[in-house]
Amino acid sequence: MSRNVKEALVYLVPSIVLFLVFFYWPLIQNIYLSFFSWNMVSPTMKYVGFKNFAEILSSPELIKIMINTVFYVGFMLILIFVLPYFYSYILGHLIKKWSNFYRSALFLPATLSLAVASILFLWIYNPLAGPINIILSMFDITSPRWFKENYLVIFAICSIVGWKFFGYNLIVMLAAMVAVPKEMIEAAKLENASNWVIFKKIILPMTSSTAIYVFTITVVFSLQHILVPVNMLTYGGPDQGSSNLVYIVYQYAFTFFQTGKAAAYAVITMFVYMAFLYVKNKYLEKKVYYEN
Amino acid sequence: MKLKKVLAAAMISLFATGAIVGCGGGEKKQADAGKKVQIEYWHVAAESFGGATVKELVKDFNAKNPGIEVVEKYNPDMYKGLTQNLQAAIASGKNPDVVQMGYSFLNYAAENFQSVNLNDAFAKAGDPKFLQDNFLPNVLELAQTEDGKQVGLPYSISVPVLYYNPEIFAAAGLTEAPKTWADVKSYAKIIKDKTGNMGFFMQEYADNWAQQAIIESNGGVMLKKVDGKVQAGFDTPEAAEAFQLMADMVKEGSGLHATNEEGFQAYLSGKLGMVCTTIGKRANFEKTAKFPVKVASFPEFEGKPVRVAAGGNFLMVFSKDAAKEKAACEFIKYLQSPEALVKWSTGTGYLPPRKGIAEDPKGFKKMAEENQNIQVALSLMPKAVKWASFPGANGLQAEQMLIDVRDVILSGEKPAAEALKETAKKVNDLL
Repeated sequence: MSRNVKEALVYLVPSIVLFLVFFYWPLIQNIYLSFFSWNMVSPTMKYVGFKNFAEILSSPELIKIMINTVFYVGFMLILIFVLPYFYSYILGHLIKKWSNFYRSALFLPATLSLAVASILFLWIYNPLAGPINIILSMFDITSPRWFKENYLVIFAICSIVGWKFFGYNLIVMLAAMVAVPKEMIEAAKLENASNWVIFKKIILPMTSSTAIYVFTITVVFSLQHILVPVNMLTYGGPDQGSSNLVYIVYQYAFTFFQTGKAAAYAVITMFVYMAFLYVKNKYLEKKVYYEN
Repeated sequence: MKLKKVLAAAMISLFATGAIVGCGGGEKKQADAGKKVQIEYWHVAAESFGGATVKELVKDFNAKNPGIEVVEKYNPDMYKGLTQNLQAAIASGKNPDVVQMGYSFLNYAAENFQSVNLNDAFAKAGDPKFLQDNFLPNVLELAQTEDGKQVGLPYSISVPVLYYNPEIFAAAGLTEAPKTWADVKSYAKIIKDKTGNMGFFMQEYADNWAQQAIIESNGGVMLKKVDGKVQAGFDTPEAAEAFQLMADMVKEGSGLHATNEEGFQAYLSGKLGMVCTTIGKRANFEKTAKFPVKVASFPEFEGKPVRVAAGGNFLMVFSKDAAKEKAACEFIKYLQSPEALVKWSTGTGYLPPRKGIAEDPKGFKKMAEENQNIQVALSLMPKAVKWASFPGANGLQAEQMLIDVRDVILSGEKPAAEALKETAKKVNDLL
């Protein structure tokens, strides 16, 4: 072994150890647990083979949860990926005045905790006493039951999480927007290119590496953020209407104390994400422009 | 090279700090054990739910008992959250000593946690008849399993009652509280039509406590025993009628279907006429509302006896050595003393479980005389029955199914009879 390799290994050891202990070991443990029926305290762990998986895969619950998950991710992509993308273009290239004010104003919610935001929105959405209802009642509209209707509840919860993370993603993408060389845009303007053409032909490709980053963290982390308002406001209700692939793992593990089934759901969730990352790497990454 | 040195130095100092902190912790523990018995008390009392009272009681006890130090620990998310933490604590061998446990977790706790037998513990502590002498048999029964094992000692008792807003009642021309569920329904309609406010809301916590009361008051049951096995008992016309009554109110627009907190917010801000929820909320409601909060008894179905599930909590002991066990007994005796119970009841609204305390001039009597709402709740005590606790490893999931079907029925997705039948089948498969 050359000296260089040895030295490199020494540098790598801390992170390899951390990864093994805190990522891969729990992962293997989790797969192991998914073959048992157990509640974490009982002295007897009953081996059940693939029964946990069979039960989950044959239940109508899984279909509902998958559909919910797709809706969650869809809403989140609109709220904290597509919208901030356009906003950052406007802020970075179209608006001349007040841009610093908008930046900080839009970033402000990102500093609040999700738990606080959840309670805040519980008031805002209150169907009898909340401000939204007051506005709706001016037009003689009865407030919908935000947290008690299928799909509507998903939107309501996404709006809480979206409100908090919008500003952060905006700042990240704004950094990419302002890094686009001004000369390029000026040159295009001399050629009489419209704002739309500039956006499509210059901005979009030049910011694609940041965009794909924000896209990926939105898909991967959103469900984890969503756990907070779901666990505080709806407990997955109404009738599993706000449950999703991440919350269901939590619910089986820590509400029903069925560790085996929770572990099986976690394995399924992992495969869903692996599929997503595979598709992303295979198709999306190719269209991305990296400067270096 | 410079970077390496800095890193090495940083690592050494990190290890050194770790070692010092580690030693420090060890020494402290030993020193404490030498002079005082330290026990841990786990509770679910948030600041808005008697948290200050718990702190006050613990402080008072510690001052009066120099040999014992009680450390209180708040567990968020009610008994579910507490059970989660307890699960983890027991798995790692760091048991708390005295724990508040919810009645609906009775079976789960009895089946999964090794707790101290209270009769033995009090015998060892020199007071073998503490339980029998101070608590009525039907109260002790609330914390017993089917086979009569005393899992814990009832501490807080709550019953569902009907809160109403007298100002909304007056505006709607209603002069007295509703007595039957038919009254509730017609009152809700009158309130909606005359004042534009919402009429009625029944609590939608992540449990079936209030729903059990309305089902059983209509002659239904939650669980039944078939050939020695517990099965769902709620797929009956009585249970369906009770659920349908609430769903019809929601459909008419006079009943509210929302999350629990939304319902309470609406009531407290004067937009809702009646709320059916626990007497445990009394202190908080009376303090927060801008109108005089009034409590009526749990309504009946014409000609049928009212049966309400007792809620609240009982105390379990998990101490592992004799000294701590004895200290835990002393602490429980203090918590169950008339003076401490009055404080607890004032801070939360819970009813005291101890025999004869309602007549005790030192204790509860004065308070009950001054507050009409407490008297109403006390009159429900003889009608209290055990909170249905779903047995077995899938019990908690089975209970969730009944919570889920409540949303299905109240949102009008399916009629109650059909939805309950389907759920009963699913629950039976699980049990």
